[in-house]
Amino acid sequence: MDFDAIVVGSGITGGWAAKELTEAGLTVLMIERGREIRHQLDYETEMKSPWDLPFRGSGDQEMYRKLHPVQMLNRHFNEYTQNHFVNDAENPYATDGDTAFNWFRSYQLGGRSLTWGRQTYRWSDYDFGANKRDGHGTDWPIRYADLAPWYDKVEDFIGVSGQAEGLAQLPDGKFQPAMALNAVETHVRETVRARWPERCLTIGRTANLTQEKPDEGRGPCQYRSICARGCLYGAYFSTQSSTLPAAQRTGRLTVITDAVVEKLDYDPATRKVTGVHYIDTKTKQRRRAASRIVFLNAGAFNSVHILLNSASEAMPNGLANSSGVLGTHIMDHANTLSAAALMPGFEAHTSFGNRPTGVVIARYRNMDSMDGQGHSRGFSFQGGAFRSTWTAGRRDAGIGADYKAKLRQPGMWRMVLVAFADCVPRATNRLSLDRTRTDANGLPLLKIAFAFGKEEHAALAQAKAEAAEMLQAAGGRVIAGGDTPGAGGTAIHEMGGARMGHDPATSVLNKWSQAHDVANLFVTDGAQMSSSACQNPSLTYMALTARACAAAVSMLREGRI
Amino acid sequence: MAHPAANQWQRRDFLGAAALASLCFGVPVAALALEKLPGEAVPSKRQQALLRIVSDLVLPRTDTPGAGEVGTGDFVLLALAHGLGGSADAVSPAIRSSLSPGITPFLKIDGSLRYADWLEAELDRRANGDFLRAPAKGRDVLAALDAQAYAKGMDGHPWRTIKTLILTGYYTSEVGASQELRFELVPGRWDPDLPVTAETRAFSSDWTAVDFG
Repeated sequence: MDFDAIVVGSGITGGWAAKELTEAGLTVLMIERGREIRHQLDYETEMKSPWDLPFRGSGDQEMYRKLHPVQMLNRHFNEYTQNHFVNDAENPYATDGDTAFNWFRSYQLGGRSLTWGRQTYRWSDYDFGANKRDGHGTDWPIRYADLAPWYDKVEDFIGVSGQAEGLAQLPDGKFQPAMALNAVETHVRETVRARWPERCLTIGRTANLTQEKPDEGRGPCQYRSICARGCLYGAYFSTQSSTLPAAQRTGRLTVITDAVVEKLDYDPATRKVTGVHYIDTKTKQRRRAASRIVFLNAGAFNSVHILLNSASEAMPNGLANSSGVLGTHIMDHANTLSAAALMPGFEAHTSFGNRPTGVVIARYRNMDSMDGQGHSRGFSFQGGAFRSTWTAGRRDAGIGADYKAKLRQPGMWRMVLVAFADCVPRATNRLSLDRTRTDANGLPLLKIAFAFGKEEHAALAQAKAEAAEMLQAAGGRVIAGGDTPGAGGTAIHEMGGARMGHDPATSVLNKWSQAHDVANLFVTDGAQMSSSACQNPSLTYMALTARACAAAVSMLREGRI
Repeated sequence: MAHPAANQWQRRDFLGAAALASLCFGVPVAALALEKLPGEAVPSKRQQALLRIVSDLVLPRTDTPGAGEVGTGDFVLLALAHGLGGSADAVSPAIRSSLSPGITPFLKIDGSLRYADWLEAELDRRANGDFLRAPAKGRDVLAALDAQAYAKGMDGHPWRTIKTLILTGYYTSEVGASQELRFELVPGRWDPDLPVTAETRAFSSDWTAVDFG
C-alpha cells in the first residue's frame, strides 16, 4: 500500500493531521490500534439512565479491580464510559523504581478525543519563554506569534465557547458565546477581582458548541454533561464529530482500525522513513505500508514507544534519537484539589441544566515579577460551584421520613478549586523500553520513570493557601484541601519525550514538529512538548499539528522532502 | 464454594423479586438481575428480607415509594458482592478495635467485611433476638446503630457503607431518581440562576453534584 502520508493514531491530533493533509490533496492512511467507534451509531450508553445499568452507573468494582485497576482511578471512568477506556490487563506498562504513574488511555477510533475534558486554552509567551527564562529544559524554537494564526484556525473549526478577558497569560481566542457563571461563581469572581485585581475567574473555555455548526452537521450542547459517553448531537469536539468527517469528505482518507504500529523503517541513504510496520491485533498478522511522509499521533508516550522500538543499525538508540534525549523530559501537570468549601448565603438560588465546563482562575504568579514561593512557573485553578444532592446524605446521620425529606431539597452550595501546576521538564523523568517483558503483540513494554520535584510541591502549597484565601474572602467555609500532587498521569496531560528545540544535539524535533534527523517524519502529539505550561494542552497540540501539516505539504511540493 | 444448585436457586429467587419489582414500579429487570455470585457472597432469603426492611427504614414510603419497595435491598446485596462503595476494602484498624469483638467473626482474611452477615447479627443482637420479628422496635434499633456509626471518630463504620449503598440504590432507581428527586437526562438548556421555590427538588441528574457530593 502506498500513500502520500501515513498518520499513526486517530485521536485529537491524528484527526487533525488526517483532515489537514487530505484537504491539501494528499492521500492519507490513518492507522488506529483500537476498535472502530462510529459517530452516533456506536455510543451505546449515551441515552441510558442509571436504572438501565446493572450497577446503576457505578460499575462492577470487582471486575474493575481485575481488568481496569488503573483506569478505574479516573473520575470519568464509570459504567457509562468503561468501554471508552483501555483494559489494563490487556495493555500493561512498566514503571521504574518508586514511580507511581496512572496512565489513562483510550485505545479506539477517536482515542481520547471521545473522553477528553474539552478545556481549551491558548498558551502565551510566558509559557513558550519559560524554559529560556528559568533554565529548566531547552528553549522552545517558537513563540506565541508563530502559533496565533493556527490557534485561530483550530478554534474556528472545533468550536470553543468562552469569554474574552484580555489576559496576556491566557490569550483570548475566537470564541462562541460563553456559558454563564452561576450565582456563587459570579460572586466569587467579583469578590476576588475586587481584592486581587490580577486574579481573573472566568468561565472554562470549552470545546462544546453554544451555537450549531450546520455545515459540519454539529448541533449545540444539550447541557447534559455526559460527554465521555459520546454525543450524537456532535456538540463537543471529537475526531468522530469533527475532523474525521472532514477528512472523509475529501475521498482521500483510508482508515484501518485494530492495527497497532510496531516500528518504522529508516533508510540512512535518504535519511527518510520508508515504511510503517503494523500488526493486525485480531489475526496477529504483520503488515507494512509505505508513504512519502509519516505523522506520529499515537499519543505522547506511544509515539515515543514507536520511535524507541524503531531502533536500527543506523540509529541504534531509537529512530530520530541522535541526540539521545528521546524519551526524556516527560511531564504531567501537578494536580490536586486545593480547596473545597461550603458557600453559605445562596440558598435561594439554583440552576437548571448541566453545564459541561467549570470555571478557571488564570495563572497570576511568576509573570512580570517572580513572586512564586519556591517555584518559578505558573499554576491555575479549575473548578466550580454546585448544589450538592443525595450523595451528601452519605455523611449525615439519620434515617426515616425526615432524613428522606431533607435529601429531597437541594443541598448546600459547594465550590471546589483544583490546581494544575507547571511541571518542570527533567531528564530523569523518562520513557524507555522494558526489554524483559512484552505485551500480547510481542512488543516490549514501555517503562515509565517519573517523579514530581520540589518545584511542583512548592507550587501546590502556594495554590492551596491561595485557593483557601479566595474562597474564604467570598464567605466560604473551607472543608478540605490538599497540596500533594496526585500520582503522575493524574492530570491526563502526559507529554514530552520527543521535545522540540533549536539544536539537533539536544532535541528531537525542530520548530515544524519535524524530526531533526529524519526529514519526512513529524511528531505532532504531546510528545513534542518542551515545557508543560499550566493550561490544558490539547488546543496547542492541535494548532501545532495544523501548522506542521502546512509545513510538510509545502516541503513536499517544493521537493524538499 | 457453595453447592451449584444453591446458587441457581438463589439466582432464580432474585430474578423473581426483580420481575415483581419490574411489574410494580416499571423497573427494568436488567437493572436488578444478579449475576451468579460466588458461594460466600450468596445472601440468604432472610438477608434479602432484612435488607429490604432496613432500606425502607432508612428511606420509607412517604408521598413516593420507599427504598425497600423498589428493590434497593437486592441492589445493596449485589453491590456488596461486587465491591461497590468501598465494600471490598479492609475495615480500618480503628473501627475494628472499636467494634470488637462483635465484628471479628465477620472479617475476611483480607480485612474486608462480610457486610450482610455482620448487619444481620448486629441488628439481631441489638433487638435482643430476631430483628425481623420486632418491627415496631426495628426503627429504634436501626436509629441507635445509625447514631453510633455517625458519632465523631467513627469514619469507616460499616453501617455508613451499607447506608451509602441504600442511598445509591434508591436515588438511582427510576422512582428515587425521577419521582422523589428531579431527573433530566437531556436538559437542553442552561439557566444559571433560578429562584428556589417550594417545588424545587434536588437533581439526581446533576452528575457533578453526584460525584462530589
